[in-house]
Amino acid sequence: MDTVLYLAHTQSDETLSKGALEALTAAKELTAQLGSANLVVAILGGDVQTAADSVADCGASKFLGVSGEAFAQSRYATDAAAIEALCRTAQPAIVLCGSSSRFNRVLPGVASRLGGCADLHATEVKADGGSTSITRWYYRQRIRAAQVRDKRPWFVALETGSDAPWITAGGKAAVESVPVALPESSLRTTVEGLQKPPGQTQTIRPDADLLYVAGAGWTKKQADGEAHIQDAESIILDFLGKTQASLGGSKSLVDISGTGQAVLSFMTHLNQIGQTGAIPRHPKGLSTCCHGEEPHAVGWRFIHERRAINLDANCGWAHGKADVLYVADAFEVMRKVNALLEKS
Amino acid sequence: MGFHIVVCAGIVPDPLQTLEPITGPQGPALKNEMMLPAVLDPWAKHALFEAAHLAAKTPDSKVWLVSMAPKTKLQQVMMSIAQKASFELVALDGPASGFTDSQAVAEALAAAINAISGLDRKRLLVFGGWESASRGAGATLQIVGERLGIVEQFQGVDELSVTASGSLRILERVEGGMHQISHCDGPPAVLGWATGSLPEPPNNPQVGMANMRTLMPALQKATAAGVAVDGKSFTSVEVPKQRRDTRIVKDASTDDIAREIMEWIKG
Amino acid sequence: MSQTTPSSDNGVERQCMEADVVCVGFGPAAGGFLTTLARGLTNEDGSLAVSSAVMEGMPPQVICFERAEGLSFGVSGVVTRARGIRETLPNLDPATIPMAAPVAEERVVYLLDPIGASRRPRTLRAIDRVLRAAKRAVGMQHDAVELPYIPPFLRKDGGLVLSIGQFNQWVGDNIMMSGAVQLWPGSPVAEAVIEENKVVGVRLVDQGTDKDGKPDAGFTPGMEVRANLTVIADGPVGPVGRQLDAHFGMPDGHHQRDWAVGMKIVVDLPESCPLEPGTVIHTLGYPELEIFGFMYVYPGRIASLGIFVPSWFDSPVRTAYRYLQHWMLHPYLWRHLNGGILRSWGAKTIQEAGKRGEPVLAGDGFARIGEGSGSTNVLTNSGVDEAWATGSILAESVLDLLKQDKPFTKESLEATYVSRRRASWVESEGRIAEHARDGFQKGFIRGILGTGLAGLTQGRLHLAGLPPRLNERVLSLQEHFQGKISEAEIGQIRKQCIAKGESLHDALMTRAGWPEIPYDGQLLVSHQDALLLGGKVQAPGGYADHVVFVYPHLCETCGVQLCAEICSGQAITPNPEGGVPLFDREKCVHCGACLWNCTQASEENKESGAIAFRAGAGGLHSSEN
Ligand SMILES: Cc1cc2nc3c(=O)[nH]c(=O)nc-3n(C[C@H](O)[C@H](O)[C@H](O)COP(=O)(O)OP(=O)(O)OC[C@H]3O[C@@H](n4cnc5c(N)ncnc54)[C@H](O)[C@@H]3O)c2cc1C
Ligand SMILES: Cc1cc2nc3c(=O)[nH]c(=O)nc-3n(C[C@H](O)[C@H](O)[C@H](O)COP(=O)(O)OP(=O)(O)OC[C@H]3O[C@@H](n4cnc5c(N)ncnc54)[C@H](O)[C@@H]3O)c2cc1C
Ligand code: SF4
Ligand code: SF4
Repeated sequence: MDTVLYLAHTQSDETLSKGALEALTAAKELTAQLGSANLVVAILGGDVQTAADSVADCGASKFLGVSGEAFAQSRYATDAAAIEALCRTAQPAIVLCGSSSRFNRVLPGVASRLGGCADLHATEVKADGGSTSITRWYYRQRIRAAQVRDKRPWFVALETGSDAPWITAGGKAAVESVPVALPESSLRTTVEGLQKPPGQTQTIRPDADLLYVAGAGWTKKQADGEAHIQDAESIILDFLGKTQASLGGSKSLVDISGTGQAVLSFMTHLNQIGQTGAIPRHPKGLSTCCHGEEPHAVGWRFIHERRAINLDANCGWAHGKADVLYVADAFEVMRKVNALLEKS
Repeated sequence: MGFHIVVCAGIVPDPLQTLEPITGPQGPALKNEMMLPAVLDPWAKHALFEAAHLAAKTPDSKVWLVSMAPKTKLQQVMMSIAQKASFELVALDGPASGFTDSQAVAEALAAAINAISGLDRKRLLVFGGWESASRGAGATLQIVGERLGIVEQFQGVDELSVTASGSLRILERVEGGMHQISHCDGPPAVLGWATGSLPEPPNNPQVGMANMRTLMPALQKATAAGVAVDGKSFTSVEVPKQRRDTRIVKDASTDDIAREIMEWIKG
Repeated sequence: MSQTTPSSDNGVERQCMEADVVCVGFGPAAGGFLTTLARGLTNEDGSLAVSSAVMEGMPPQVICFERAEGLSFGVSGVVTRARGIRETLPNLDPATIPMAAPVAEERVVYLLDPIGASRRPRTLRAIDRVLRAAKRAVGMQHDAVELPYIPPFLRKDGGLVLSIGQFNQWVGDNIMMSGAVQLWPGSPVAEAVIEENKVVGVRLVDQGTDKDGKPDAGFTPGMEVRANLTVIADGPVGPVGRQLDAHFGMPDGHHQRDWAVGMKIVVDLPESCPLEPGTVIHTLGYPELEIFGFMYVYPGRIASLGIFVPSWFDSPVRTAYRYLQHWMLHPYLWRHLNGGILRSWGAKTIQEAGKRGEPVLAGDGFARIGEGSGSTNVLTNSGVDEAWATGSILAESVLDLLKQDKPFTKESLEATYVSRRRASWVESEGRIAEHARDGFQKGFIRGILGTGLAGLTQGRLHLAGLPPRLNERVLSLQEHFQGKISEAEIGQIRKQCIAKGESLHDALMTRAGWPEIPYDGQLLVSHQDALLLGGKVQAPGGYADHVVFVYPHLCETCGVQLCAEICSGQAITPNPEGGVPLFDREKCVHCGACLWNCTQASEENKESGAIAFRAGAGGLHSSEN
């Protein structure tokens, strides 16, 4: 009987992230599809009991845990050792987890250590007639492929937004603690902490319902022959504040910011759509003053409903890629949207 | 004591090109792959610039560039990249396809690194891009590290500084636009770079010509690297043809548009 | 490449180094030159045939600098007889070059005007009426007549269709593999370094500057590369070639007043298209009489097709892009294209003055090859092979001089390169073509007759007419649209367009009866989308603008602002605030059309205008043109 190992790590508050809970939905489905498979939950973190309890009733046959200060933070050597120990205990065929920076930086290495294989950025996992396959994208989200692998264990990290989070009342989980032997060399790295993004404004919100994309048009000369950068900044920030949307920028816009020109002070290359490595997966997306291919074709790949505001009715990148194209001045429209949001 | 920095960088089609998959004799491939102009994989290219920068300010350092790609394509890419940073090329004649599995690529790269003569493991930093623009797997460097027995690994690196005591201070990308700050005692370590902070260096013909002395011989003697299929197979490979029916709202008042957008956001 | 002490000019310290031969530009001319040279530098047993004068005991140091970021970003047709190319590469197998095929079938087609919007003289309208009436008898189908006879001078029997991008890349790869030559793309040459009438090398453009060329973050002055011989192969609008023309003057009676801008696309033909690889179609007659078209079919159901807008097209409404779309939509072509997908797009100037535009071919320390040296033949519509041949002729001469240890002086180069070139087929055919198109200066029918006459009589007969300078000939919009659109309305349209920062041609053409283009998002796309989708145009940061309006006062009073009207990339646009147009480097495809489409004559030199086209980085990133 094959084992599906659901792998998760705790967040700093000892809970599981939304992405992790989405992967649990997928893991349960996969186990069911595989018929005779067995679901095992494995969690690592500073203290994993709270997290294990929160999914106690998920139907797993066993709960494994690695706890301890060394595992409270993301670090290759310790995470790799912990995941290796968990896998050696569970002997899984498939290891499924939610995508996170912490797992992404260690899974392929561990998989290789165990003689297995790994796929990050999977967008779907399923089993057909006992054979597991995944879907992932190649060439910067341009080409979609479905693939199967012979090697085991097979680690699959699912992108967030691929499934609905598994929601439960929780309970009490009996966690079997798995010992990890840390080689001395594992402690050559210490984690100091997190650094906030530059500037005072937090504009990237991976869990937001709306992705708001700003293009270089915001910095271009407008009908009156002037650029209105201050206006652009305040309109955009106002909108983000009111909607808690996440902010994306096109390459052109981000590049202008990089040249030191006095332009959208809060925009950095981490906002750039399609090139940060993070794939924005929001239910809705609104693109403004944006003509580029990447924001519309690639960065938007996983945005469900898409609308665009552009002065150019022929904007070839919105045609066929957005659901609605409003041919209008984004400055005016967004100002009015902000006013309406204010009232409501 | 300086660093021995090995940069692993593949080549990818110029991101501006239109890509279309086909089925080749070895599985999926890109249509006209040999005709498409290629560039050094963007994140790995940043890694190369960071490596050259670090080597330039740390005396007694050296940079190698280990790259696997079809020889003629690699040569084309070297014509532009060699003008931007000083390095010694270790060329492997092999596939550059995103569909080739990372495990196989990593093994070829690790073997090539092991074969570099004069490489000092105690000073070794393995650099590369945290993900390729072709495979986007984020796996190759980790596996290279494992094969070389290096467990000090960092991915999505935007900044590396060397402290007075010689330890490494590293900023890695994490969720929400934040960075995790780590300290590592020193080499050996593996760093998968994201964008970093260095601008693209200018083309310097003198740098190019110095590199040329090792480049052409390396290309000429590059041997075909065996890359195993490694138990991965594709059941479908496609460019999704999801053209949306775009509703074009023209000549509507901004009030109406604003109201519609507002309802849509709330709905 | 020994290094010498930094040179200093205007207080800027430049790195400096020495080479034996430095070559400016990598097109077919440089391809022919470097292929032949590289081969001759070593003996068959691998030993050195000649050695470097600047690095003792080493092979001669040969460096070629190309402006574009890759060797494959050229723009051309191409159909070619490939005589010169095959002379250098006798075993050339088209199957080894992507997108190459032997010529299989040739057609020359007269296109009638299916929508009635073109400017046709009364005589021609009458002829068209007759053709339409006698449809069956003349074999007219799809509003077109295939000419029953193609004169031999136009035929490309035994020739090849090529993609210039793929051909150049292939040639470049082979040259690099020889190890004898260094090719550096992404390296625009700013100018030749001239000391006492001797060319002593080149200077690369500065990097890390602002738009105006002033030092900015990461300023790196362009290096000086000194060489015993500088080979100028920078094509039809190369700034280094023009610098030498200005410095050394043109030979008596020579001028460069004939130009055309060619705009082309590469298309995935629809499944239904029956055209075989190697099919070559040339068109005339539509969308305007002065605009010729071509379509060449490659293996794999791919076609390369485009049009030429020439300098003798007197209309001030001259956007190649819109004309290209109307041309594609002509029923004769559209039946093959409908359902196709745009793969690639590009534009470039052709220097059509040919032999009559030949500059001083060689002087102390320099030699000129390729289109910039007047090699292109307008009679046979051929430039690639001629450019290649001039390059390989020069290489043979250079090898001779190196072996004899002779310096590259005016005398030695004239005795070898120039005299060999005079004895070549490039020269004899160039002479026949010299006046072939003069007839066009006086109208289309006269032009066609003139071309035919010159071709058939080997140049003995032609219709005389020294072309006027462009700045003497272009009509104002009012003159052009006299009787069709009132002056007041033209003024109105101008005002609206300028306020939007758009050139006038689209609005004027629509007003003059040209239908709107039915954009389909895959083959018929907006001009801006063609830049991104087909041309993949890009400009790296840190370089100065290479298109500069040097006499702002002339632009302010220019009126029609032809530079913006012709601009292939919509990189030059009217300024909504009036006055000097705006230039956006990120859209420029380096076609060079703005250079010869200025309505004003500069004060120093009546042959040139108010706009400077300098060496710059960036442009097309499409490798299939
Ligand atoms: C190697 C490479 C990789 C790339 N990768 C990426 C990538 O990953 N991500 C990415 O984003 N880009 C990428 N690009 C660039 C991309 O293809 C586009 O060129 C770029 O995104 C265009 O940016 P933009 O739409 O902001 O600007 P522009 O093209 O300048 O468009 C501005 C738009 O704003 C509109 N506008 C102006 N004023 C108003 C107004 N008042 N109201 C409404 N509309 C207005 C205009 O009509 C215009 O359409 C890449 C390019 C290269 C060369
Ligand atoms: C649309 C079109 C269709 C054509 N069709 C045909 C055809 O069917 N058959 C045919 O035989 N000919 C055709 N031609 C003509 C042919 O392409 C040219 O005659 C030929 O390319 C000339 O070769 P060349 O090497 O002299 O110059 P080019 O091919 O122009 O090469 C010059 C090179 O120099 C570079 N350069 C310029 N300035 C600098 C600088 N400052 N520093 C460094 N590099 C620089 C340029 O980027 C370019 O790569 C066509 C041309 C066009 C535009
Ligand atoms: S460059 Fe010439 S055509 Fe263009 S605006 Fe100036 S004067 Fe007129
Ligand atoms: S500005 Fe650039 S694209 Fe426009 S005509 Fe001049 S060279 Fe061609």
